[in-house]
Amino acid sequence: MTRINEHPILGVYQKGEPVEFTFDGQPLRGRAGEPLALALKAAGVLIHRYTAKLRQPRGIFCAIGRCTDCVMIVDGRPNVRTCLTPLAAGMDVRTQYGRGEKQ
Amino acid sequence: MKRYDVLVVGAGPAGLSAAVEAARLGLRVAVYDENARPGGQLFKQIHKFFGSREHKAKIRGNKIGEELLQEAAAAGVEVMLNAAVIGVFAEKEVAVRVNEQILCRQADALIIATGASENMVNFPGWTLPGVLGAGAAQTMMNLHGVKPGERILLLGSGNVGLVVSYQLLQAGCAVVAVVDALPRIGGYGVHAAKIARCGVPFYTSHTIVRAEGVNQVTGAVIGELDKDRKIIPGSEKHLAVDTICLAVGLSPLSLLCALAGCAMEDNPAKSGYVPLVNRYGETSVAGIFAAGDVSGIEEASAAMIEGRIAGLAAAQRLGFLTQEDLDARVAVQERALASLRQGMFAPGSRGQTFTATTEGCPLSQNLLRQGYLTDTELSAYPGVVWAEGLHPIIECTQNIPCNPCRDACPKQCITVGATAGQITALPIFDAQKGCTGCGLCVAACSGQAIFLVDEEAGEITLPYEFLPLPQKGEQGLALGRSGQEICAAEVVDVKTAKVFDQTNLLTIRVPVQYARQARFFRRAP
Repeated sequence: MTRINEHPILGVYQKGEPVEFTFDGQPLRGRAGEPLALALKAAGVLIHRYTAKLRQPRGIFCAIGRCTDCVMIVDGRPNVRTCLTPLAAGMDVRTQYGRGEKQ
Repeated sequence: MKRYDVLVVGAGPAGLSAAVEAARLGLRVAVYDENARPGGQLFKQIHKFFGSREHKAKIRGNKIGEELLQEAAAAGVEVMLNAAVIGVFAEKEVAVRVNEQILCRQADALIIATGASENMVNFPGWTLPGVLGAGAAQTMMNLHGVKPGERILLLGSGNVGLVVSYQLLQAGCAVVAVVDALPRIGGYGVHAAKIARCGVPFYTSHTIVRAEGVNQVTGAVIGELDKDRKIIPGSEKHLAVDTICLAVGLSPLSLLCALAGCAMEDNPAKSGYVPLVNRYGETSVAGIFAAGDVSGIEEASAAMIEGRIAGLAAAQRLGFLTQEDLDARVAVQERALASLRQGMFAPGSRGQTFTATTEGCPLSQNLLRQGYLTDTELSAYPGVVWAEGLHPIIECTQNIPCNPCRDACPKQCITVGATAGQITALPIFDAQKGCTGCGLCVAACSGQAIFLVDEEAGEITLPYEFLPLPQKGEQGLALGRSGQEICAAEVVDVKTAKVFDQTNLLTIRVPVQYARQARFFRRAP
């Protein structure tokens, strides 16, 4: 279980409504407003993109928008930092290859 | 162009504190922050802070964050979020990026409180998904309720590494190992001890040889380092982990200062490239101040004080405070700062090796290497007095700036230092004052180093911050300081109270011969 139901100090987390979105066309569920990267992580998705030259996988690294390792194609737009992007219902999220020029 | 009296860059502990001080004196103050939420890292710091009352000791970082935001709102501070300051030009003009727009702002004084960024190390496999910064782990679990992983290796045993390890345990993750290349644990012994007794092993003089996995981390290999920091052949050890968390220090995020033309220096004692500042935090450019981690890495408690000083000084520069008034107010803040900057972990003590406390007690070598005190070492400290009946055993053995235990005791049984400002002395317990066993000191100790012990009854009251909370009458196992199972234990009492602030007091009963060793309770599987 990746989500923490109740925390000994923080209690129950205040979360948005459950929403659906898609990852590479496959439907997933997350909570509205939470960082997209964490909705993906909670759904078991760790690979966000593959690097341009060596095609190596990358995922969340800093989670605060500094490292840009977690960028993906969101609603057709490449290089979106998913750790800073709030999840919204119906988002179309895709694995990014290289700089995201082509699929 | 929008103008302010004071523009603060960064809504963390330093920036908000600076803004509050200046705004309370009637200045028009705005704080710009690139993040969606204010508070910097405070809302991820869910542990009780060290220091004394004036430093908000024994209050959790997230609560301090809430207080600061309320103070800022009450003082009329304008906080602009999702607003990244990307340029500083002549006459204190700044460029701010908001979404796709660049806005220009100008102020008569600028306070740069941009904080720090995490350091990284690389090793084969370090780019795999599953290798994270310690800050990322805190963001996931403490802000968003998502576990960073199930089985975690933590690299770095400074306070960040130790605190994050403990928070990972609280989030329900297993911490498989804490690894540090140095031969000793870098952070407070009390932070190490509270994870060691949960069974977390320390590997000092070790490093990560490689992370294993193709698409994500599936394991790690660590190895022991020799005196030349080379891996000893044959010392490699495989650990089954799915996450590697890096806590290898912070560096000041000072580029805006450099951009503003402030004189800079590379200062290892301040952990990096920092602006030169005077006693008010003012840089070489008149009217530009730097406060908090941007001018040298320290705890958030110090950042808040530096922020207050910079806010006051900015008010004086703009004519809202006389020089005399400023100096009187700054003197109070400087005394608070000086009391935090004492002891063996102070910025001025960096690089020094201590073998004894200022009281002359030998430092526990086992605490420095393995994270826990041995039974024989324990009796050397003034907080450890084996008295009859119920009494506290204070396992506080290093000179760190902290004294909530003294303030918590209604009977004045505990003293810390001869004077009020001397907060790094080891706590002394006086059995003659008549301890009532109220347990307030157990809950107040930010290091969770105080236990109430009744040797004749074989009862130990310990701080407990995990879920599910054991119930009265529950049977389980008592663990020693090393996390080893030592004997069967029964929960005989569970106390929770608002004044304990989420630190529950668990009283367990063990066979009397184990009363000096039992320090943690493990629920039956």
